[in-house]
Amino acid sequence: MGFLKIFLPLIFLLILSLTGGCAGDEAEENSGSSGVDGGTGVSGELVVYSSRNENFVEPLLQKFQDETGINVRALHAGGAALNRIKEEGHNVQADIFISNDIGGLEHLRLEGFLQGYNFPGIETIESRYRAEDNSWFALSARTRVLMFNKDLITEGEMPGTVWELTDPRWKDQFAITRGGNSGMIGHVSALINEWGEEKTTTWIAHIKGNAGAIMQGHGDIRRSVGAGEFKFGLVNNYYFHQQLREPQDNNVGVVYPDQGEGEMGAVINAAGVGFVKGAPHPENAKKFLEWILLPENQREFSYASLEVPINPSIEAVGEAARITDYSIQGMPLRELGDVWEDTRKFIEQSGLDLEIR
Amino acid sequence: MRRYDYHDGAANMQYNLKYKISPLYNRGTWSSIIKRLWGRLWGGNAPDPYLALLASAIGLLMAVPVLYVIWRSLFAGAERWTRLLDTRIPALMQNTLSITVATTLLSIVLGVSLAWLVYRCDLPGRHLWQWVLAIPLVIPPYVGAVAYIMLLGPTGWVRDLLGAAPVDIYSFGGVLFVLLMFKFPYVFLICGAALKRMNSSYEDTARSVGMGTWEMFWKVNFPFLRLAIGAGAILTSLCVLSEFGVIALMRYNTFTSAIYYQMESYDNISATVLSFPLIALTLLFLWLEFLSRKKQKFYQTTNNFRKTETIKLGRWKPLAFFWVGSVFLLSVLLPLSVLVYWSVFGLAGGALDSSFWGYALNSIKVAGLATLMSMLLALPVVYLKSRYPSLLSAVISKISSSGYALPGVIVALGIIFLFNQYIPWLYNTFFLVAVAYLVRFFPQTLQYGEASLNLISPRIDEAARSLGYPSRKVLFRVIIPLLRPGLLAGGALVFVSSLKELPATLLLRPPGFDTLAVRVWVEASEAVYHLAAPAALLIVLVSILPLKLMLSKY
Repeated sequence: MGFLKIFLPLIFLLILSLTGGCAGDEAEENSGSSGVDGGTGVSGELVVYSSRNENFVEPLLQKFQDETGINVRALHAGGAALNRIKEEGHNVQADIFISNDIGGLEHLRLEGFLQGYNFPGIETIESRYRAEDNSWFALSARTRVLMFNKDLITEGEMPGTVWELTDPRWKDQFAITRGGNSGMIGHVSALINEWGEEKTTTWIAHIKGNAGAIMQGHGDIRRSVGAGEFKFGLVNNYYFHQQLREPQDNNVGVVYPDQGEGEMGAVINAAGVGFVKGAPHPENAKKFLEWILLPENQREFSYASLEVPINPSIEAVGEAARITDYSIQGMPLRELGDVWEDTRKFIEQSGLDLEIR
Repeated sequence: MRRYDYHDGAANMQYNLKYKISPLYNRGTWSSIIKRLWGRLWGGNAPDPYLALLASAIGLLMAVPVLYVIWRSLFAGAERWTRLLDTRIPALMQNTLSITVATTLLSIVLGVSLAWLVYRCDLPGRHLWQWVLAIPLVIPPYVGAVAYIMLLGPTGWVRDLLGAAPVDIYSFGGVLFVLLMFKFPYVFLICGAALKRMNSSYEDTARSVGMGTWEMFWKVNFPFLRLAIGAGAILTSLCVLSEFGVIALMRYNTFTSAIYYQMESYDNISATVLSFPLIALTLLFLWLEFLSRKKQKFYQTTNNFRKTETIKLGRWKPLAFFWVGSVFLLSVLLPLSVLVYWSVFGLAGGALDSSFWGYALNSIKVAGLATLMSMLLALPVVYLKSRYPSLLSAVISKISSSGYALPGVIVALGIIFLFNQYIPWLYNTFFLVAVAYLVRFFPQTLQYGEASLNLISPRIDEAARSLGYPSRKVLFRVIIPLLRPGLLAGGALVFVSSLKELPATLLLRPPGFDTLAVRVWVEASEAVYHLAAPAALLIVLVSILPLKLMLSKY
């Protein structure tokens, strides 16, 4: 009897947890069938992999779930999301990939992990900001900037170009992210495009030694610059906007680098959404893609992160410089996909990809 | 009970293979030969083959993820190996070894000094200190790191008070300090237990030849403690080797965190290459410990055991009290106060909403599943090892423990490989997380199960069988009820360890399945302390429950 007393509740627990797991499977099958029917009430679930900051994406997904009744299961996996989709090619798990950068989306498309779909509303996105087959489209843009702490340095003293970061006089005074960060990969791709590999290698080698800290993500940089740990940091412009909105440590300014005559211009990137090939819940995925193209949701997508909407008819956040206000480096964003793997390897050889300090 | 020599069994088998099998022509005798061999292997005390098979399968199951990682690393290609050997591995080796050695050495200093003061001297409240100083062990180190970042970090309290951060917490020193504060109890507890067991006859002899307390410590107590220090040091260093949360939160980099980042970028093959040196380091440490244990033997006669005298601290008492008190302050009081403070903030802001309880439920679900599996699977392994001691059962028990010594990231790596390739329908379910916990913490149930089964005489089994019970009935009616306390104790430890586990959970969680540990991690890395604190505090509170159990272990 003692045996039963102990093990019965445990076995009950086991059954409970297993049926919990199976409930998910049932939901999956439901969604499949309702999708085929094009049925009335949408049910089932949508699996989203996202490489963006969880706080930017989660409210939007919650809104989708509330409005459609489709249960969203999200994996906020940072840089791992893209590679996870590749690894799961034979066993597709994700329906939608929300990417923090265009390079990743185009790279997935080129490797055959995305599927095209022609859906209403896509024309609101300029064609250079979406895939040829519309398997992905960008929604919000950002610029690589130098954010500085006004207590420690004035705008006049700040370096005006990213090349100046190699100058020994900035030693230990600024922060960058590790090279494995997708923002950094995009940036280095643009630099290779502008400078060639040799000069870019020199640049990486120098800033790796010069940087006071090499951090996991840009959020760490904005907080540490805001707190006065470093004079400035290389971030995406919306991190500057976020820091401005902090209740404290918000005395920060921004420099858009390389704006002078004949200089290359600031490097931009964009975040967007892709449709995964072989998605287990294709109908729900299509629903999501159409939904997110609705103007209010496009707005939501870029406002959550304080980025600039790609769609010019959607008003930008107050303090953001419009994409037309400054000069931009010439490489088309889509080309990032071609060079993505090469840049990643390039950064890995330089040793910047893993280093954190 | 008869005692069997394992090595004899193996030698017999070799002998059989060489001289007895080869001249066989008669096929009909094969089965009897196998039966005889099987019997010899077990020294005449052979278990039910099904039991042996089941236990072997379980042992193998526990080892497969790690073996698979090693296997895959061999096929990573020369190019990848040379690239990583040239660029990554030397720096990581230096980082990993320096933090491991530094933490271990300092925790020996701290642990031995505390154990000496608390267990041997007339320190006020010494019995209270004995368990109070064990509390840091149940605080997950990453929670401690979060607390210290809240306190000393660039946006922490101290900066708000002083205007500038007084120290750089994101430094080697910072990592070392946090690791030390939450790992020293290993040495402390093990040395404390050894001091308690020490017979006063050694000291009496030392005193009779005129040694002072200090000289006696170095010449008598310290050599006696070396065994305990070695055991504590090995535990500490293995923990540091596999530590992920503190390292990553405090922006340091060791093999463990590098493997994690490598897997995050899903370059799994490179991750296997990086796992290789880490596995080698782990094995090296285990081997060193084995050597030190082998060389040292102490003989205490038990029949004239007398407790050692309590040493009078005299005028050193305030200083000693201050020392012990500050360690307690820094490793328990301060971090917990910070967590409580931020939790109050969080509670006021409604942190305990439905999603919080959802995370808690997920934690319980997956930790509970792992616990249940570990208790069920421990039965055959424990039974085989304790009732049929032989080379094979010892090997099975050792193999089952392989996931325990190795870092969680490597176990997770192996599990991802295996499930994604061979069992895709279970891939991306929370079952994977539970399997990782099982592989990681199975030995805890084994240990406790074994300990309690060894207390039950095999005569009881025999008696039950002689009464006509079939062996299955013996298992359910006799063995399991008697084994229950041990299994439950081991299960409780598995549950708590699972609740705290971070790296494997992060890597294996399916979409939409966050646990409390994951939330602590996410919110802390986003510096949203009022949301990180309640989850962290809840984990600590649950972890403290089996503290008594852990104390009885040392």
